Amino acid sequence: MTPTILLLNLSLCFAALTALCLSLNRHHTEVFQSKPSARRILLLRVLGWTGIGLSLTVAGVAEGWNFGPVQWIGTLTGAAVALVLLLSYRPRLIGQACGATIALAVAVSAMLQFA
Amino acid sequence: MKGSFRQSMAWLHTWAGLVVGWVLFAVFVTGTASYYRADISRWMRPELTKVSPLTHAELPAAAERAVAYLEKHASEARTWFIGLPHGDEPVLDLFWRIRPGAPPGHVILDARTGAEMALRKTMAGDFLYRFHFELHLPPIWGRWIVGICAMIMLVALISGIITHKRIFSDFFTFRRDKAPRRSFLDAHNVTGVLALPYHLMITYTGIVTLSMMYMPWGVTTAYRGDSQAYFSEAGFVTKSRPVANRPAPPAPIGPMVERALATFPERLGRVSIAHHGDAHATVIAAFEEPHGLSHEHPQIAFDGVTGAVLEVVNGGLKPAAKTFSTMVGLHEAHFAGPTLRLLFFLCGVMGSAMVATGLVLWTLARLPKANERPFFGLRLVQALNIASVAGLPAAVATYFLANRLLPPDLAGRSDWEIRAFFAAWIAAALIPLARPHRRAWSEMLGLVAGLCLAVVLADIATVETHPLRRLGAGEALFLWFDGALLAMACLFAVAVRKVARYQAPSRAERSREAPRPSAAVRSSERPAPLHAAPPPLAAAEPERA
Repeated sequence: MTPTILLLNLSLCFAALTALCLSLNRHHTEVFQSKPSARRILLLRVLGWTGIGLSLTVAGVAEGWNFGPVQWIGTLTGAAVALVLLLSYRPRLIGQACGATIALAVAVSAMLQFA
Repeated sequence: MKGSFRQSMAWLHTWAGLVVGWVLFAVFVTGTASYYRADISRWMRPELTKVSPLTHAELPAAAERAVAYLEKHASEARTWFIGLPHGDEPVLDLFWRIRPGAPPGHVILDARTGAEMALRKTMAGDFLYRFHFELHLPPIWGRWIVGICAMIMLVALISGIITHKRIFSDFFTFRRDKAPRRSFLDAHNVTGVLALPYHLMITYTGIVTLSMMYMPWGVTTAYRGDSQAYFSEAGFVTKSRPVANRPAPPAPIGPMVERALATFPERLGRVSIAHHGDAHATVIAAFEEPHGLSHEHPQIAFDGVTGAVLEVVNGGLKPAAKTFSTMVGLHEAHFAGPTLRLLFFLCGVMGSAMVATGLVLWTLARLPKANERPFFGLRLVQALNIASVAGLPAAVATYFLANRLLPPDLAGRSDWEIRAFFAAWIAAALIPLARPHRRAWSEMLGLVAGLCLAVVLADIATVETHPLRRLGAGEALFLWFDGALLAMACLFAVAVRKVARYQAPSRAERSREAPRPSAAVRSSERPAPLHAAPPPLAAAEPERA
């Protein structure tokens, strides 16, 4: 259970859940003051589910398929709690937070690549 | 219980949740705290920070000292348990049992001298841990009650999933600024749904952990009531040997410990000695489990007279036993490192919040109209809600506070800590009965915040080795433990403010909201009740002041 993998997974899950969250009319309106187009919904959902699948793969490959799923569910829950709180208290920051977590995920994977 | 399937499930969810909610809240909170049982124990015995940990090479001699003490003070006991010193507890922790049913003997020895240690007597984290599944009742009773509640919890979870129509579209929804019933329902849903895998896992594995007790008949029939034979055949423990009733001089324990330490790399946690001095004396060295989901403690059994190895148990469980021990492992999460442990803790907090918001929702859905008097059941549930949701945290904080403030040499000190826990809980349950409901909530939540703060202050004031008194030098545990308590204090203070500043919706707003059949199915076409039989929507806060 390396903290680096957990961090990578937390940021991946957060970004993925944000995409799924914004694909819902209510939350898209909260953040962008408009309903998403059908194409955008599709795009967000594909991105979101890909991110979730990716994070499961990362957890399974990095931690083994016994610990991986346990840790993955943990990070998914943790990221979802953070997202719901942010959405409730500071919805305007969702976009920036999502960008930040993607950047973090890229940085962590680059670090793992070259470490 | 008429109507659609979903309606009857909603009925089931409401009442299943209500009848066990208060016990479940206590089980959830103490269980969540038990993820940090070792840390709590360390925090509650601050004297131990002055003892340096022992090296591997010192352990055999320490075990000899333990045996010497037990030969002198517990010679008539059938079995001795010697907890060997390790990082967090660099002491010898001795238990013995004279006969079943009698209270066990317990003493903590200095591992380097073999003398009794002048530690403050406390149950430490073990009290919260045992309360989690025994409720401080006689073990059989407590475990049955907790088991039944867990079973009903499983019913409540599954019926809750069926009742909740909009799991996916409401997945991220938490509207804090709406009517209280709305925001409490959102909070209940969010804490329930986001951590749902955890809730299902922890409830199910919790029942499985004690399943041998709840359903012993298979073992009773197949092994003629000899559960020990079952456990050893399944590969959980070494075979037990019957007493020979012939005395024989025991072999020294040191070489056995040495040999055990050389066999497995895991930490040697405990050595137990059965029938010391008998020809069939058996010494069992039990190790911590190797890193893995499944709970498999390697064990070595020695002949207590010759010192020869009788049996080695090391993994190799068959599928059913492996499944069982994996479930136990998942429940206890010993495998979790600091970050994952924090996530487990977060999930536990969400479980507690789910139970608490569910309990409050029951009352919010049944508030009387402006000109009605609250019926007895409502008053009862409201009172019990405060007693558990605010009372239990107050009791835990008082337990910590008593640990710091009771004189170290008080007779029966560890019992007094527990009495303080229950006294605080009873007080927190009774005082609200004499107060107006809203006022009682904010007073009791404020009390919890104050108590958490008091624990931190008492900790800094009474522990000489506290890092804050030594410019940061010392154990970080005391810093983050106090930090966590401060965070709790802040959370409860925020809750006080929320309760105090909450304005009951004005009459105009109320009439606008009233036609909604129920919050749960607000935008659904079918008018299904929230959690069955909804009285008219929250009319007025019961402000009797």
